[in-house]
Amino acid sequence: MIHIDGSLKVRLAILLLVMVSILGTLLMIEAYFATQRAAQRAYDSQLEAAALTIAEAVQWEGADPVVEIPAAALQILATQHQERVFYTVLDHNGDRLSTNLDIDLPHTSRQAAALAPTWLDLVHKDTEWRLHGQEYDSAGWEIQSPVQIWVGHTLRGRKALASELFDRAVIRFLAMVLLAATLMVLAMRVALTPMRQLRHQLRRRQADDIRPLDTRVPEEMREMAEALDTLFARQRESRDTLLRFTADASHQLKTPLAGLQSTSELALKSRSPDVWYQALEEVHGGTQRTSRLAGQLLSLARLRHIEDTEALVPLDLKELLRSTVLEWAGREVAIDHDLGLSALPSTPMTIRGEPWGLRELLGNLIDNAIRYTPAGSEITLGVESCSDHCMLFIEDDGPGVDPEGLSRLFQPFERVGRQDTEGSGLGLAIVDSIAKRHDAELHARERLPHGLRIELHFPLHEEKC
Amino acid sequence: MLRSWVLTGLLFVSLTSTKGMAATQLVVEAALDRQVVAPLLAAFEKAHPEIELTYHDRTTLEVDLLVETSSQAPDIVISSAMPWQMNRVNEGYARRIDSQPAAQWPEWAKWRNEIFGFTFEPIVMAYRLDLASYMLPPQTHADLHTLLRSQQESLKGKVTTYSPSESGIGYTLFQQDARYTAKFWDLVKALGNAEATLELDTQSMLEGLTRGDYWLGYNLLGSYAMVWAQQHPEIIVQVPQDYALVVMRTGFIHRDAPNPEAAEKFMNFLLSRDGQHVLAGKTPLFSVHPDIIGPYTAQRLRDQVGDRLYPITLNASLLAFVDPQRRDAFMARWQREFNQQRELPQGPESRK
Repeated sequence: MIHIDGSLKVRLAILLLVMVSILGTLLMIEAYFATQRAAQRAYDSQLEAAALTIAEAVQWEGADPVVEIPAAALQILATQHQERVFYTVLDHNGDRLSTNLDIDLPHTSRQAAALAPTWLDLVHKDTEWRLHGQEYDSAGWEIQSPVQIWVGHTLRGRKALASELFDRAVIRFLAMVLLAATLMVLAMRVALTPMRQLRHQLRRRQADDIRPLDTRVPEEMREMAEALDTLFARQRESRDTLLRFTADASHQLKTPLAGLQSTSELALKSRSPDVWYQALEEVHGGTQRTSRLAGQLLSLARLRHIEDTEALVPLDLKELLRSTVLEWAGREVAIDHDLGLSALPSTPMTIRGEPWGLRELLGNLIDNAIRYTPAGSEITLGVESCSDHCMLFIEDDGPGVDPEGLSRLFQPFERVGRQDTEGSGLGLAIVDSIAKRHDAELHARERLPHGLRIELHFPLHEEKC
Repeated sequence: MLRSWVLTGLLFVSLTSTKGMAATQLVVEAALDRQVVAPLLAAFEKAHPEIELTYHDRTTLEVDLLVETSSQAPDIVISSAMPWQMNRVNEGYARRIDSQPAAQWPEWAKWRNEIFGFTFEPIVMAYRLDLASYMLPPQTHADLHTLLRSQQESLKGKVTTYSPSESGIGYTLFQQDARYTAKFWDLVKALGNAEATLELDTQSMLEGLTRGDYWLGYNLLGSYAMVWAQQHPEIIVQVPQDYALVVMRTGFIHRDAPNPEAAEKFMNFLLSRDGQHVLAGKTPLFSVHPDIIGPYTAQRLRDQVGDRLYPITLNASLLAFVDPQRRDAFMARWQREFNQQRELPQGPESRK
């Protein structure tokens, strides 16, 4: 089932948005302070110019300095923003020679201005002011003491300039973000082209086209392309298996059917009831074998297609084994063989499994052993407990299988060179399928001095371990 | 019993209703002759009958002091003493007006959108018609200077101008004159030689001219002089041909105005087309408004005398005029130049 979990584009966009927002906030904070500084510098220089203009107008008349405030200085102070203006000229004692507003200057600022040009922000009657103070040397014929000049204005122009500069910075940033976003969308389209091409290629494929991919993909998509290729390969493999299975099954069914046909043809040519009777017996045996073969094919096919593992229930393997062997021991086919159980452990062997599947498995193993061993052979089944799993085994003292044949033992229709019996070669393949459904490991090995031993290792049910 | 209750009720209703109608008071403190602006005030009262207008006509000095000292601040402050008005605004006594007429007002006639110059009054010379039979009447400042020097004897005692120490507008005009040319001081010296009489207002100068006490007046308010000349044909008004100063009456809403809404209505009316139309048509005060048509408009005046009008614009440089040291220095120079030739200096007392 495919769940659509968001979009790569949206995810990229959100990531970028978050990053741009963080970056933008930092940039805007920086821009805010930078514009404040720039506006401050621009207007501070006006204050300096005004102070200098006033300083130029200071003259000594005898013992008193006289300041004829130049109108230009006030115009400079007011700026084009029509600020309210303040000026004061202090003599060396700190007495006011000339002033227009009664703003009280802090003593510390006056002292600081005596040493170096000073800047001062203060609030006078609910209005913010920025003041500049500087001391100027001036010499008369009688007295040579410096005068201190303070000028100041309100902050309208500074605020207007700062906000104008800041607005421009914000607009520039937003324009940049928009442009970057547009380019990003374009870049994303270009970058995702290989994905789109792959999609188109897959969509164009015929339903039964499972050849490997033939396309160019970037490094990042290599794994996906390879995974797709692996999937195709597995599909091919399973289809081949299916075809082989079908071919083999048809072949297996054809042989007994051909036998039946020839037997019945021969019998039809004869007029003797004895011949008819003999042929009928042969036909009866043949149909029995054929229907058994068909039953086995059916169960194998069913096992391969049922994927439902929900049916697994905890069960005691020991009890299942005992009941199955007892049932088989009573059957007619087992009369010539010595079918027996080895000593069973006292504790229950609980595994998760399907009762019918396990009975089928045991039946096939026993049936197989009976078919491929001569009469009188000893067949022993047992179950043993290992550290984290339990082992089910079946062994016989028949002729056994040569070592090369062991590996092919569990493939369908494989009889490992034994064409003498009436088996179909499907029994162990069914065993293999059922074992796989139970996560059990299947091993076949030689039994010394002769014979075959098949082991099944089941994982124990967790709760009982 | 019942009747008296009904009567009381009626009385109460009538009391509250009259009180409600006269709820909005508006106090205007102005240095502007009441009879000159009467048509304007009448038009305002007609447009805003809900506002009860109280108009006090005072001198510039009184108006200026009221801004600071009055226990009950006035709503509107109007004065022709531009530097003092500017100083009050700079001290933060004005309230900003953000109305449409205020925003559209010409930049040179307002400051900070707090103070507005709403009249346009050229400064002129005036002389008696008789003068022309003795000498060529002056047309420029230079003519006046030449005339005062060449006709010193015949003009002695016959010249009048503002007193810079006692009249705020006179002081402002001389300061502005001195800013334009250093030759101004030669003119002052010549006025001193001619023993010019220093008057307190234009009205006195015009009356003196009509009586024949004076032959020539310098730096008169053109608005009054032109109206006077229409009724007194013996007086000729001359707009100086080199440069003519222009002063403005300025008004602002007091920061602590008790009725700011009514005050803003008044200022808006003053700056509106309607108000300026009344100003241009029914008072001798010229209108500043560029769109107004009438006999007394800045535009009409410009058409008549060309581009030689030099308005004293509302900006921070006016603040220098009220700086005490600068004022003292200016007055000292004035006295020195004006009384140079005299034995006994009889300078008028200082303004403060």
